[in-house]
Amino acid sequence: MNIFFHELKAYRKSTIIWTFSLIMVALLFLSMFPSFAKDADQFKKLLAGYPLAMRKAIGLNLANIFTILGFYSYSLSFTTLCAAIQAMNLGTGIVSKEVGEKTADFLLTKPVTRTQILTSKLLAAFTSLLITNVVYLIAANLIAWQVKTVDFSVKKFVLLSVTMLFIQVIFLAIGIIISVIVPKIKSVLTVSLATVFAFYFLGVFSETSGDDVKRYISPFKYFDNTYIIKHASYEGSFLIAGAIIVVAAIAASYMIYTKKDIHAV
Amino acid sequence: MNVIEINNLTKTYGKSRGITDISFNVEQGEIFGFIGPNGAGKSTTIRTLLSLIYPTSGSAKIFGKDCIQFAPEIKKEIGYLPSEVFYYDNMKVKDLLKYSASFYKKDCSKRIKELAEMMDLDLNKKIDDLSLGNKKKVGIVQGLLHEPKLIILDEPTSGLDPLMQQKFFELLEEENQKGATILFSSHILSEVQRLCNRVAIIKEGKIVTVEKISTLQENNYKKFKVETKSALAPEYFNIIGVNNLQAKGNVISFLFKGNINTVLKKIAEIEVVNLWIEEPDLEEIFMHYYEKEA
Repeated sequence: MNIFFHELKAYRKSTIIWTFSLIMVALLFLSMFPSFAKDADQFKKLLAGYPLAMRKAIGLNLANIFTILGFYSYSLSFTTLCAAIQAMNLGTGIVSKEVGEKTADFLLTKPVTRTQILTSKLLAAFTSLLITNVVYLIAANLIAWQVKTVDFSVKKFVLLSVTMLFIQVIFLAIGIIISVIVPKIKSVLTVSLATVFAFYFLGVFSETSGDDVKRYISPFKYFDNTYIIKHASYEGSFLIAGAIIVVAAIAASYMIYTKKDIHAV
Repeated sequence: MNVIEINNLTKTYGKSRGITDISFNVEQGEIFGFIGPNGAGKSTTIRTLLSLIYPTSGSAKIFGKDCIQFAPEIKKEIGYLPSEVFYYDNMKVKDLLKYSASFYKKDCSKRIKELAEMMDLDLNKKIDDLSLGNKKKVGIVQGLLHEPKLIILDEPTSGLDPLMQQKFFELLEEENQKGATILFSSHILSEVQRLCNRVAIIKEGKIVTVEKISTLQENNYKKFKVETKSALAPEYFNIIGVNNLQAKGNVISFLFKGNINTVLKKIAEIEVVNLWIEEPDLEEIFMHYYEKEA
């Protein structure tokens, strides 16, 4: 438990900053909604002028963009992108931070197993993400109620928002596996930005073709906001795909990390 | 009883040299020196003992238990001080030590205070702001605060000023008298001589010899360097006990073991410009060991 609390404390500052930033992004977008909804017809005409492929690529859906949930889900695609970077940073940092700050010798010569170390750190990172999401969800919901023109389903709002946590967990797992495989990561941020944006653009490409199979390539496309708004549920096959990635990456990380040589630096 | 038992330990990595077939024992209550030049495999051996790295073949036991299989259990009684200490920067010394203590199921606060006082360490400073020497002190306190039965030190003196080094050695001797066994790795012969009962000498990943310090001291070599006014045939010094005889211009150098007076008499007979008599450094001692093998 001591490792868990130590790590959680170490994440405190970055968790606060990320949470605040995510809320600001949501606030920025949602505050535009009232004027956007007012001139809906004009915007619709304007947006219809864009090619369909492009509208799909940037996640514009003319059918629901003028409802608060549709508009929110559009803003959510940006907050999720930022949130993915936060999660990836945490994940990549779990092991490589010890190497970078050369504290691995300190921790690994204590009477604890490597499994205990990884578990504590993983839980601390997950807790940080959970806190971020809970605070964000409450704030975003409050903002949405302020700017709405008609009432909306809170359930759907929560379902939409929670996709952010799901995607974060996937990127947390990807980050961990990278950090145990790559021997020395000089800059965590570079690695996480590169990975997250790579998947983001892969997602954009897969969207243009409208092919469902291609959606499996990018975790960003596992949760189709239009589908969620329509059915108030997630697509099972993509939930499973996400779970498989997370479980596989974390299991592999445990196996590699417990066998890994920790070299002097 | 052996606190450490290393049996045919081998570790190979891709490029860098590992260790080959290392075997030696450290007995309970001894201060055991582990000496060799940089890159000889001292750290590799120590890191294997601490299960930071895993052996390619062979095994090691600490307190009679396999050092990999029982690693967490063994480590309760080990204090480790790495050669380079870097700790979580954003912490105060006090908090880091508390964090370190939290891994051992006993109250270490009193011992932390004692050690900090002894080492003259300010507990309220941020680790970030500490000099290298002070960081080293944090490392020392961190390694000793749980009163371990085995203390493993990997080149611990770098960065400590002579006064602190002295205090640190006294501290180690104190711990030793209380019953702690110490494995002390170093590339500085004098500190090993000062502190240790026995030494293992390692070179290029292999143990060259394990000897008592007293035996080493019997082989007390001196390094002579004589600068003469006019060139002198080096053969002049070719007497019994002289090794590695070399001449560079007017400077003749050699290693000597035996009665020093015989050499001094020889030197007295010639016109000397300058004279150096030094303890041979490790490389030269190793040379001696390799010559013996050849």
